[in-house]
Amino acid sequence: MVTASEVEAALRSGLPASAVEVADIQGCGTSFEVRVVSEAFAGQGRLARHKAVQAAVKHLMPEIHALSIKATKTPEEEAAAAAAGA
Amino acid sequence: MQRAIAAGRLWLPAARSAALVDLQRAGGLAGPRLYSAATTDDADSHDDFKPKVKAAPSAGVDATIEKDISSHDVFIYMKGVPEAPMCGFSNMACAILNLYGVQYGSRNVLADPEVREGVKRFTAWPTVPQIFIKGEFVGGSDILHEMHQKGELKQALEGCAQQD
Repeated sequence: MVTASEVEAALRSGLPASAVEVADIQGCGTSFEVRVVSEAFAGQGRLARHKAVQAAVKHLMPEIHALSIKATKTPEEEAAAAAAGA
Repeated sequence: MQRAIAAGRLWLPAARSAALVDLQRAGGLAGPRLYSAATTDDADSHDDFKPKVKAAPSAGVDATIEKDISSHDVFIYMKGVPEAPMCGFSNMACAILNLYGVQYGSRNVLADPEVREGVKRFTAWPTVPQIFIKGEFVGGSDILHEMHQKGELKQALEGCAQQD
């Protein structure tokens, strides 16, 4: 079983991510929704960003049944979205 | 006599449902594997009864994938079929594609372990569903959903054949 904090730690160190939101959807450590903000995403399209997220949690994947990547943003994009009230 | 024939027929499964294939592979079903695909754990079978793979499996699968994605404007590798998806993410991907009314081809990876592994190798992407638009790998259901939410999917699907 994987905890949300393990997923968060993996993303923070692996990407590295400046802001991470991890939600354990089922409450049993098998399905997670993540939102990630990282400077590493700058200049990267969606595929590359998602691959980076997947690579960061790869070692946890054998135990994770489902990973849903809800958002991958750079700090600038995140700020813009927040300003727009998104 | 007729009844015997009819009864005999009942014992020949015409097709394995995807769920059964999955259960079989997980060892959850006893009974003979009449329609094994490229199974690897046949250590207890005599050579004569092991499935015979003609050439390198990956070469054949790559060709299949190339053909799939070049002969359809939109193609999805999924769990289950569009009429009956067998996973929430595949379900969502189909629902989104249906929303845009585009024609799309599909392949059920649960029914074909070679394709299941082959498509992941092909795209270097670890999960299913996998969606291709105009021959290009677009991503999984999350990416498709995000594109839909941002209005980008409409653009990406421009010119794709519509369902009648």
